[in-house]
Amino acid sequence: MITALLALTAPLVFAAPPTKSGPESPAKSVAIRADVVWLGDGRVLEKGVVLFSEGRIAEIGTNVSVPAGVETIEHKGFLTAGLIALHGYTGGQAGEMRDDARPAMPNAKIGLVFDASSPDVADARAVGITSLLLTPNAEGVAPGLTAVVKTSSRRLLKDEAHLSLVFNAGGLVSNREPTSLSGAVAMLDQLFAKPTGAVERAHGGSLPCLFEVGEPADVLRAIDFAKRHDLRGVIHGAVLAGEVADQIKASKLSVIVPAIGVGERRRNLKSVVALAKKEIPFGFGLDSPVNNPADLRLGAVMCVREGVDAKVAWNALTSEAARIAGVADRVGTIDRGMDADVVLWSGDPLDLGSRVIAVYVDGARVDGDKR
Amino acid sequence: MKSLIFGLTAAVSLSSGVASMPRDDKPESKSWIIWADRVYTGTGMNFDAGMVGVGGGKIAIVAASRGSDDESSDRILRCYAVTAGLVDASVRITNGASSVEQSNEIQPNLRVANTLDPFAIEWDRQLRNGVTSVLVNPPDLNVIGGLSVALKTAGADTIAERTLKNDAVLRGSMGSEPSRGNHPAFGRPTDFFSRRPTTRMGVEWAWRKAFYDAAAAANDSTRAFPGSERLVQALKGDLTISIQAWATQDIRTAVFLKEEIESQAEFKNGLNKPRMFIDAAAEAWKEPQLLVRAKIPVVLPPFPAAGRTRDNSFMAWNVAEELRKEGIPFALSSHGSAAPENALAMQAGYAMQGGLPFENALAAVTSMPARLMGVADRVGTLEVGKDADLVLWNGQPFEPSSRVIAVIVDGVLRYDARDKAVAK
Repeated sequence: MITALLALTAPLVFAAPPTKSGPESPAKSVAIRADVVWLGDGRVLEKGVVLFSEGRIAEIGTNVSVPAGVETIEHKGFLTAGLIALHGYTGGQAGEMRDDARPAMPNAKIGLVFDASSPDVADARAVGITSLLLTPNAEGVAPGLTAVVKTSSRRLLKDEAHLSLVFNAGGLVSNREPTSLSGAVAMLDQLFAKPTGAVERAHGGSLPCLFEVGEPADVLRAIDFAKRHDLRGVIHGAVLAGEVADQIKASKLSVIVPAIGVGERRRNLKSVVALAKKEIPFGFGLDSPVNNPADLRLGAVMCVREGVDAKVAWNALTSEAARIAGVADRVGTIDRGMDADVVLWSGDPLDLGSRVIAVYVDGARVDGDKR
Repeated sequence: MKSLIFGLTAAVSLSSGVASMPRDDKPESKSWIIWADRVYTGTGMNFDAGMVGVGGGKIAIVAASRGSDDESSDRILRCYAVTAGLVDASVRITNGASSVEQSNEIQPNLRVANTLDPFAIEWDRQLRNGVTSVLVNPPDLNVIGGLSVALKTAGADTIAERTLKNDAVLRGSMGSEPSRGNHPAFGRPTDFFSRRPTTRMGVEWAWRKAFYDAAAAANDSTRAFPGSERLVQALKGDLTISIQAWATQDIRTAVFLKEEIESQAEFKNGLNKPRMFIDAAAEAWKEPQLLVRAKIPVVLPPFPAAGRTRDNSFMAWNVAEELRKEGIPFALSSHGSAAPENALAMQAGYAMQGGLPFENALAAVTSMPARLMGVADRVGTLEVGKDADLVLWNGQPFEPSSRVIAVIVDGVLRYDARDKAVAK
């Protein structure tokens, strides 16, 4: 009987119209010659050429032979890898990215509630963001699994990037367990005492964790927990994380710096400088649409102004962010075989006077000036 | 004659002590020599014009004379009086309601240490008032709120590194506070807090039920519940119970709880040895014979200005002296209040206004709370080998016109207001 029902419903599911892979033209081979190409591994090409083929980067160099019939775009400016925003709910409805009836649902997947057609995603794309780390809202103790998506399609880059664990008081609700930080830690300890599913994968080290924190005290509590259960991963949510940089360094965890806005307090920026000084790997969060997607690049530039090395700040937007999201083999740098996620800028992207000329995701032009 | 003998022995220990004291340029482990007109050791021995030497984070020497150290040395700190760092056995530098788990009224295994913020400004406030060790309790919103932690008010950045003793006491409360916010369910429960206890009587019932259930669990593992092993530890006397009880009826309830455990058949086989002290025992003066009979020490809350204090209880400035006369061991406390008039040193002053001798007042804010917290081997007196926690005063300690001018914790000068202090 059940099988019969399934058989009936199945054709309906498959009968649904296929989803469009991208909002604009499909990927075709194209070559771009730019005045300056930042490969993202420290190498810079003057008058470099990047050749896309089937959504991947096929060739890079200053002397690339472009196959016949492939258009070469001349770009007067910079070419870089697309930016990666590490924390946020762009493309999901904020209230839908958690389940407040249950404090622990570690196997819930945020990737499944992503809506690529949301105007928020288009806004992110327009400022050069090509990948997003989606994170469940930090409520309860284990709200679910993070995911990495592209800003141009519904295709998930990674549907299980981190197990999210909450260590801040913001995750507590006064009318269900846990109501306290001690209760939250006890509940998490219990989850890891008999690990199953995603918790087991985190426990075994195959799945990194996202430690949601707020105050520096939360950071220390999370580090303590990571040590106790032998977990790896990344800390998000502490604007003053740099004030406990020694402990973070010793813990080998990395950091997602919460979104930085215009007029950010200098103490918060100095905290990022402290992270950089200790060579702690970090990337930037976004939390759009609460914050303007343009704040991602702005925040990095403000950190540079405060004393963070420009190369470090740029990596935090691209290659380091990709490593933190667990997708460094696909995005974050420009190299043969990597996804063709590329941004063309009018000038140095760490100069706020520069603007986005064009955005390519998987080799397809998804945003930019009219050509 | 007696002081002469002290002078002689002190001089002997001085000459050997100073020579062996480490000299280290690193500020974290710097050695200090404190020259004081009065050295109050807290052991019954006090020295005029004495000195205390500190090295490697410990007290290296306590002496009745100043020795021959170079007077210009920057290792020398001068003050009118020096005492051990003050100890407060009832402090609440927590994250408020986030520091106590209210999903159940009985939470014997939850640690308040997991909720603390080592960067909270209140640590510094305690330090500046001369308090170097504290017992931090979970907020008393539960009947049994969890495990308190004894720790230093200054030092490393992490709570773990500042901890003197983890799980120092099992904390709970009698009286009206735990039932506040709970309400009965008529028909369908309306929310999470539709539950017992809703009254004083419900609170005492919850206490007794918890211990009877734990005793049953000790004999039958199928009846174990979260935290029952902690309650069993408390029944065996391996974990001290700290009960908040302001009013006399709540103090009686706590006393009777201890006596019930000691006498009832359910607690035979070693489950009848609970150790207990009563915190915030404002009305301990009303029935002191009960506390003597049950051998229960108390911690007094801050003295109120006009007699009436919390839970409708009454307490005057002579309560400390009355308890001393009755032979009840007691400590003074700020009960977690941040108000300047509730600072621990002020409490000692009020108690002295109420007739308590200085030595007893000193013990009530140093060695006695250290004993209640189970850390008397580390802190509470100026003795060689104990932690180098010292308070330097510019006048007679606890006098209204005296103030703390420097505080040393684990040998490190953590608060230094010598140049700001008014000369006396």
